[in-house]
Amino acid sequence: MSQDAAHHAPTSTGIDHKKLIMWLFLASDCMFFGTLISTHLLYRKLYPTGFTDAEGHQQFVQKLFNIELTSFSTFILLMSSFLMALAVSAMHKGQLKSFRRNVVGVIFFGLIFLGCQVYEFTHFYHQGLTIQNSVLGSTFYVLTGTHGTHVAIGILWLVMLYFYSFTGKLGGHVGALDVEVAGLYWHFVDIVWIIIFTAVYLVEYLGPSGIWGNGLPVLAK
Amino acid sequence: MFSRLLSRLGLFAAPLFALVAAGCSKADLTVRQSTLDPKGPVAQMQYDVFMDTVWLVVVLFVLVGGLLVYAVVRFRSRPGETAAPIVEEGHGNPLVEIGLITASIGALVFIAVPTLSAIWYTDDVPAESVPKSKLSAWYGQPLDKAVAEQVLEIDVIGKQWWFRFEYPQLGLTNDAKHSVPNEMVIPKGVAVRINLRSEDVIHSFWIPKIAGKVDLMPGRKNRMWIQADQVGHYYGQCAEFCGDSHAYMLFRVEVLEPADFAKWVAAQKADAAPVAAGSKAEQGKNLFAAKSCVMCHNVGGHFGAGAFGPDLTHLASRKSLAGAWLDNRDPKAQRALEQTSPLGTEASVPVDRATFKANLIKWIGSSGIAAGADGQPTKDVKPGNRMHYYKMFNVAGLRETHQKLTADELDALAEYLLTLK
Amino acid sequence: MSHDAHHAPVASKLELAPERSDLGLYRPDRTRGLLDWLTTVDHKKIGVLYGAFAMLYFLIGGLEALAIRTQLARPDQTFVTARMYNQLFTMHGTTMIFLGVMPLSAAFFNFLVPLQIGARDVAFPRLNAFSLWAFVFGAFVLNASWLFEFGHLAGWFDGFAWHQALTYTDFAPANGWFSYAPLSGTFGQANAALQAPRFTGVGTDFWIIGIQILGVASLAASFNFICTIINMRAKGMTMMRLPVFTWMTLVTSFLIILAFPAITVALIELMFDRQFGANFFNPSAGGQPVLWQHLFWIFGHPEVYILVLPAMGIVSEILPTFSGKALFGYPIIVFSGAVIGFLGFAVWSHHMFTTGLGPVPTAAFALLTMAIAVPTGVKIFNWLGTIWGGRIRFTPPMVLALGFIWMFMCGGFSGVMHSAAPADSQQQDSYFVIAHFHYVLLGGVLLGLMAGLYFWFPKIFGRMPNATVAYVASGLVILGFNLAFGPMHYLGLAGQPRRTHTYHAGNGWEDWNFVATVGAFILGIGVFMAFANLVYTAFKGPKCSSDPWDGRTLEWSLPSPVPEYNFAQSPVVSARDAFTEHKHGTKRIAYEADGGEAGVHMPSQSWMPMLAAGGFLFIGFGMPMMAMGIPHAGWIVVSGVAVLFAGIWFWALEGPGGYMLKTPAVSPTPAGTPAASTSAH
Repeated sequence: MSQDAAHHAPTSTGIDHKKLIMWLFLASDCMFFGTLISTHLLYRKLYPTGFTDAEGHQQFVQKLFNIELTSFSTFILLMSSFLMALAVSAMHKGQLKSFRRNVVGVIFFGLIFLGCQVYEFTHFYHQGLTIQNSVLGSTFYVLTGTHGTHVAIGILWLVMLYFYSFTGKLGGHVGALDVEVAGLYWHFVDIVWIIIFTAVYLVEYLGPSGIWGNGLPVLAK
Repeated sequence: MFSRLLSRLGLFAAPLFALVAAGCSKADLTVRQSTLDPKGPVAQMQYDVFMDTVWLVVVLFVLVGGLLVYAVVRFRSRPGETAAPIVEEGHGNPLVEIGLITASIGALVFIAVPTLSAIWYTDDVPAESVPKSKLSAWYGQPLDKAVAEQVLEIDVIGKQWWFRFEYPQLGLTNDAKHSVPNEMVIPKGVAVRINLRSEDVIHSFWIPKIAGKVDLMPGRKNRMWIQADQVGHYYGQCAEFCGDSHAYMLFRVEVLEPADFAKWVAAQKADAAPVAAGSKAEQGKNLFAAKSCVMCHNVGGHFGAGAFGPDLTHLASRKSLAGAWLDNRDPKAQRALEQTSPLGTEASVPVDRATFKANLIKWIGSSGIAAGADGQPTKDVKPGNRMHYYKMFNVAGLRETHQKLTADELDALAEYLLTLK
Repeated sequence: MSHDAHHAPVASKLELAPERSDLGLYRPDRTRGLLDWLTTVDHKKIGVLYGAFAMLYFLIGGLEALAIRTQLARPDQTFVTARMYNQLFTMHGTTMIFLGVMPLSAAFFNFLVPLQIGARDVAFPRLNAFSLWAFVFGAFVLNASWLFEFGHLAGWFDGFAWHQALTYTDFAPANGWFSYAPLSGTFGQANAALQAPRFTGVGTDFWIIGIQILGVASLAASFNFICTIINMRAKGMTMMRLPVFTWMTLVTSFLIILAFPAITVALIELMFDRQFGANFFNPSAGGQPVLWQHLFWIFGHPEVYILVLPAMGIVSEILPTFSGKALFGYPIIVFSGAVIGFLGFAVWSHHMFTTGLGPVPTAAFALLTMAIAVPTGVKIFNWLGTIWGGRIRFTPPMVLALGFIWMFMCGGFSGVMHSAAPADSQQQDSYFVIAHFHYVLLGGVLLGLMAGLYFWFPKIFGRMPNATVAYVASGLVILGFNLAFGPMHYLGLAGQPRRTHTYHAGNGWEDWNFVATVGAFILGIGVFMAFANLVYTAFKGPKCSSDPWDGRTLEWSLPSPVPEYNFAQSPVVSARDAFTEHKHGTKRIAYEADGGEAGVHMPSQSWMPMLAAGGFLFIGFGMPMMAMGIPHAGWIVVSGVAVLFAGIWFWALEGPGGYMLKTPAVSPTPAGTPAASTSAH
């Protein structure tokens, strides 16, 4: 977010500092999510049977997930990326109004996604999956919660850019760059969600008992 | 300039070398927990690999270190020399570089080969050791047919801060009220498989003269195998940091002739003898029940409720106390024996009753539930031990209501425990 | 556009007119003294601050080490309690790694990298200040645990209900720097308050949040340095002309950004276990403690190279300078540094040979570990090649650098011994390991960093440290070090396990432990002398020329101390070792026609990085206080997050500012060029 770099002469590589540092941050964030996703998958492989529901029965994770809802929120997040791309392009063309329209769309879609996640968390909680009662609960909530935090920070950032655009200070090359960097972040968070959606949700639907389990009850840990 | 520096460094180095020279003669390679004095095939294999690396390193040290010293001396600038630096980009010499890289790889192959073979050798009882090591080959007592074809297995359970040993094939388990705390006993000359478990944090099982360490991981089953080829008393220690009293988590290994081992197993299954009526020991036995010791400790034939703490049925036969931190033998006699005996540290003197009793009073008196002879709690023998942190078990308040032991009661308790041969 | 740099150029920032930022607040550009240091965005001042804090923590960590050695001097000692000993070695390790070596390396990164690549600052000066203050506050949080511990021991908290409710009362961390779960984590079911039973007290919570904050500081700094090195090189400064120290900074920074996320996630998971009853490492609920070890060492092993590579870079600068000869095989040194960094991610499990990995992974990690010896050996060969055929001038930095090679070589050799997994099963967690990594990290890294301090101190302060004191100190360090850690090889092989607060007489360990303690005190005196010499020099030392060593890289072409704009005119480089070529060779450094009366752009100073980092102070104290059960402590955390976000928000909104600073008139002759060669052009 720093604009210190704006004055410098052309950089050695021709890539702007801000863009470069965002790429570096994203590289680091890849490792961050990679570690979280690995934790989840390792434990899924180790304890394939799912979770204990509110009545104390062992259940498949399939029973817990509401794949329609999650698919919908995934789609929404993807569409927000599309709007983000439009916002960046508008900014490059100097179309401030179009930028604002699109950015409001991104924020709105982002909020829908977060809303779905909040609903999902409460729903799962009432079904009996808590952060304390199983390893699955711990890995699932921390992984998806961390992603949700990323989305929330992205929304905050975009809200700030939106209001900043009214001060007249967001413009030109620097303004376009600021929006583009925010866009990079937003797209990354989306891509990570696609991976989470695949690795955490979709694989549970490969075959009748998911990729991990082959019948219930295997292990009542 | 350089000579001045050299003499200055020499000034420092001379006493250092003198110390090392003096020290080497003292550096006894057969001390109690020496890894350089292997007494079984596993430790021997690990020692051999280690020595391979030592030889490689010595050669490299002489070569590289020699070159370094030579270069520093040979290419030092002489007084009065003022030539400008050599200006050329340091491209190196590809032939030298590639040669050195190839040589390094070759040197590493020299240690890689024994390393790989030793990794598989130390992983599990090797096939060639099984025929002579299976129980039917050396264990005299009648055994279940399936069990007789197996090698002896010992379950090692780590807890803060002591080890529990169980021999499931021979019926010595905690569930059967016959577990063995802190002093493992194994037969000589046969392979033994060790199953490692932990009930709380990570510990590590290490008997340097018999085998390198393997960790006890909670939630996971680890395994190793050992074999001791010489009868004697061996020293081991937990090697993974496990909390306050990690340093006090020691254990012993007694290696017996197979026939003696069978006798030992039979003795372990026996219950404690009844105490004489009206004796001080009987008073101690009553205290044992009244002061809640019985909640955690099993004494076969007397009290059977305890399963959490060490089994005390044969306490008085053990050479150590408190996670092997306190030695029940006469320390002077033991040191004298170690210095004269040809067996070195593997030889052991028997338990000394006076030492044992003093240890018991010190140990129980320090555990937060009793006062020492002077009426004050003695210094913790093992800070953080569970006898101290009774509130872990939701029996809060015991300290205030029942747990004060007078010096006399402590004495009676010790007398009782000393009857548990 | 939010530039405020349109003001007329000034000769000094003190001549600036008062100026408001976009937020309407006055920019602290015209400050001097303490306020200047607190708001500075100058990479050189930030570097000096990093160095000063690092030396302070070196001394604290050193005192902890001396307490450890005092306890172990004789068998059955009771100088400290078992728990205090555990806290001492935990904090000693953590302090030396995260608060000593890493910040001292960061001090060099900060001070040197822009100078070596011909830049006027780092890519993000305010982010740089943020990294510094996050480090300072994280370090403070970590060490504040000692204050709580002493308060607890003194009985200050006895009257409080929350204190009486605590089962475990260790306030300073006693979990080891590796913090293995479940000792650091939980065991059993969480209660209604989401607290699961555990083995250690709030010390561990201090440790978790402290390391987390330090991680943020390291990550932010590394993003900045990679960006700076890749993007801000002077004209002609191609990647293969970069000074080796800058190269190693680049590799180290990449290691940090790729390795720290693993520990960040591990710490988050551990924190969730402890604070919210999650089950990541709780064995009774199916958590796998071995996962903590994997995550920790996926970070921890690259961390070793994060500590070592900067020292290697320093030595690779010093050896050519005092051998009067270019670095032998520059491309191979650079390449081997990168290979070490890369392979560093593939050997983590060699810290876990005794955890029961199974033969196949053990074999794979043993072979990979052996493989990493090759690029390390290559470096040693190339350093040898560098002094070979040169003319070696003996100076304090050179003696320390040669000491580095020697000690690092010894440490590398014992490292090769560890790579043989079966042998390692005897050495793991014994004093042999302590000897090994102290030869690498103390004999290697500390000597390397001390060499760097003595080498660049004249550049930083324009004053020359006393050479005699430096030699005596170096001698004491090398002697004391070998006396302290040499015998530990024997102790480990004789079966003494590490992290044990005492031992019985009769195991044959008594004499060498005593020798080690004597050595440790000699080492302590040596380090203290070396540091005292430097601190004295910084204020009172004799002034020296700007190029006292006949340096080879761009920083030596600048006046000492370096002016705030670094280069009056931006250099244009046409050779590796540009300044040597300029002085003694044929390829001159050219200069662009910038600066002068038109001035160069200087970034504005700011309070915001410190404000944002100040949020960590609240979070850092709030989390452990929550764990202590202090009522409403959660609000401290919440307010910390608020401060952090507010700081970043204001930072973004205040605008970058900046002003133009006049530099001396265009001159083709860099300062410090020896008279003999100036006449040549």
